[in-house]
Amino acid sequence: MLKLTRKQKHSENAIKEERAAYLFLIPAFLGLSLITYIPLLTTFIMGFFNLNVGHLVQNSPLGSPEFVGLNNFVDIFENPSIDFLNSITVTVTYALMAVFASIVYSFFIAVLLNRKIPARGFFRAVFYVPYVLPAAASMVTWYFLFNYDGGIINYLLVQMGFDKSYFMSSSDTVMQSLTMIAVWSCGNLIVIFLAGLQNVPKVYHEAADIDGANFIKRFIHITIPCMTPIIFYNMLMSLVINIQVVIPALAITKGGPGKSTMFMSYLMYQIGFRGRELGKAGAIAFIFFIVAAILAFILFATSKAWIFYEGKDERR
Amino acid sequence: MKKSRYIALILASLMLFALITACGDKADPASDGPIQLVFSLWGDPAEQETTQAALDVYNNMQDKVYVTALQIGRDDYVERLQVMAANNEMPDCGMVAEDTAIGWARDGLLSTYDVYAGASEKPLDYVIFKNEGEPVAYSSANEVLAIWYNPDIFDAAGVAYPPAVSANAWTWDEFVAVAKSLTFDANGNNPDDADFDANNIVQYGGSVNTYTWQLEAFALSNGGRFFSQDGKSIVFDDAAIEAIQMIADLHLVHKVAPFNDGTVDDGFFLSVGRGDTAMGTDGQWVTGFRGFFEDVNYQVAVLPYMKQKANIATAGPAAMFATTQYPEETAAFLRWYNDPENNMGPIIEGWWMPNLLSWYDDAKLPAWIDASPVRVPLGDAYKTAIVDVAMDLNITKSTAWYYTPNTYEVYTGVLQPALVEVFQGSKTAKEVIEAIRPAMEAALAG
Repeated sequence: MLKLTRKQKHSENAIKEERAAYLFLIPAFLGLSLITYIPLLTTFIMGFFNLNVGHLVQNSPLGSPEFVGLNNFVDIFENPSIDFLNSITVTVTYALMAVFASIVYSFFIAVLLNRKIPARGFFRAVFYVPYVLPAAASMVTWYFLFNYDGGIINYLLVQMGFDKSYFMSSSDTVMQSLTMIAVWSCGNLIVIFLAGLQNVPKVYHEAADIDGANFIKRFIHITIPCMTPIIFYNMLMSLVINIQVVIPALAITKGGPGKSTMFMSYLMYQIGFRGRELGKAGAIAFIFFIVAAILAFILFATSKAWIFYEGKDERR
Repeated sequence: MKKSRYIALILASLMLFALITACGDKADPASDGPIQLVFSLWGDPAEQETTQAALDVYNNMQDKVYVTALQIGRDDYVERLQVMAANNEMPDCGMVAEDTAIGWARDGLLSTYDVYAGASEKPLDYVIFKNEGEPVAYSSANEVLAIWYNPDIFDAAGVAYPPAVSANAWTWDEFVAVAKSLTFDANGNNPDDADFDANNIVQYGGSVNTYTWQLEAFALSNGGRFFSQDGKSIVFDDAAIEAIQMIADLHLVHKVAPFNDGTVDDGFFLSVGRGDTAMGTDGQWVTGFRGFFEDVNYQVAVLPYMKQKANIATAGPAAMFATTQYPEETAAFLRWYNDPENNMGPIIEGWWMPNLLSWYDDAKLPAWIDASPVRVPLGDAYKTAIVDVAMDLNITKSTAWYYTPNTYEVYTGVLQPALVEVFQGSKTAKEVIEAIRPAMEAALAG
């Protein structure tokens, strides 16, 4: 009898806890639905309609939006003024370049900042500050630094005996220039790497040291494996940020030179917010989402082969 | 436990109440007060202040209508208004971007109500936006292009100033020759010298603003066109392409112009405003820059020409939006606002020229030229290089966006980023224009 009562009480408590959990989840669910999922779904649905801003204005000569099936999805690839395939290519190229370069650079800087060097706090701040600067302002500053006439970088090139470069005004160098800016502003990755480096167990290094391993060997066989979960996290964050790249195009390059920086976000802005073609912008958003999801999936799928979780017998 | 439940209940009720009130309709304006109109505008703080002063005058001179300014940053003005349009919450009237005006009219964002129907004087015909020949928006001002030059640089080199009278305008070759004579590297060589070092130029002779829409003036000057006269097709003929290449060659071949990739409308800032460039082209509005460039002395002259003298007129329109409930009152306000008599601030400050023909009579000129402190230093040259050119309809035509839809999509979406490769020299104008012709045609078609 006593056993049953306890069970009943336990069950009642569990139900109460469950109710409370659902109750507390409601605001988050509502918030996510209203702010994220419903707009996302609406955007996707828009992609199947011939929908212009004018369709939404009362008494517009355009009449009502028309369901056009996959026409928008076909048009964004076939219409030479949109050329979405080019946008996918340049966005993915930029994102991969920026992710790779940012990870290598920030890991390298974090390793240096993790060592006992003079004015370490100052240097940590110096490398972090670019991340908190307004992105558009940073971009304009870099534009002036890269300026063909009067830019400090071209001035230095000439002083060193080289020819001037057009940097962001040349399709040969614009992607590298923007990647450099992305790398410069990845202070957040450095901070996360630093936190990770400080959590690498010292005993491993001490043991390896006793076994005669030098710094390089310890770095390759201890530091890097222990840091793989952090590397994965930073790669994911960097990918999410860089795949959405828009500010360089918006503030500086306007999609050029040629179409070399016509990033997906910028194209979507051009078509939807300036060109008023909400249906086509919705179609772009839909495919943009899929491209980003594929890249994230690849990252997750390959991560099983190279992430080392401490305390596990095997890599997973 | 019970207490915390009550607190939770109260908090939940408050949240619900806040949500309901936030989603509720806005209260209706008082029905017995003046009609409330909203006028949207962009501009820097000084321009916004000037506009607000004009609205204050209008609001104080009558009691039937009250106009409130909705100030929006220039960078996201179009986007904000389009979002408002999608919610049927546009202001009653407001400034409109030139490259968007015809598109907005076609898509139903502008009212079809003709603001100047039956009016005794309409703005100059070349600053009226026409969709299929019907007026849809009227510019509040008038602007033409000119050469702006630094007389100190000319004096130092002992070179004669550019002509300020159209009859004496330089040919393109003369412009290039003078620009070469005013271009020097660090060793004092100019581009015709064998030892000229293009990597160490310390003074440039002359440039043309490469911002996309301004290139049209030179295409016309070379006997070419960007668009057909009905605005329905892309032309970009050989003469237009040649004009673009000749402008690019100022930097690439002749080495007389600083590099300008044409992605920002900063022609003056990137030429004479730098202090190291003898002359550059840009619009009449440069008159208003005088206060910002106190260290740079500058004067005005007429554009050089390639085959024929040509210029283009443009200015942002103030238009009635489709969602207004008060078309008559809005039209009356816009006519008042567009009348130079009532909106002298931007004119006196040098940003605008009047949009009405009557203000170009000799008797009326002193009211906005002599009375403008920023125009006085330009002397007679202002009248001959700007006013006379603006009034010569053989020279000055409408910029293409007065009759062509989707110029934003053609210019900013396709042409502008493509031309960077021409100005930077990796491709010729011919290669670029032929490569993007299908894209421009698709962008124009919408």
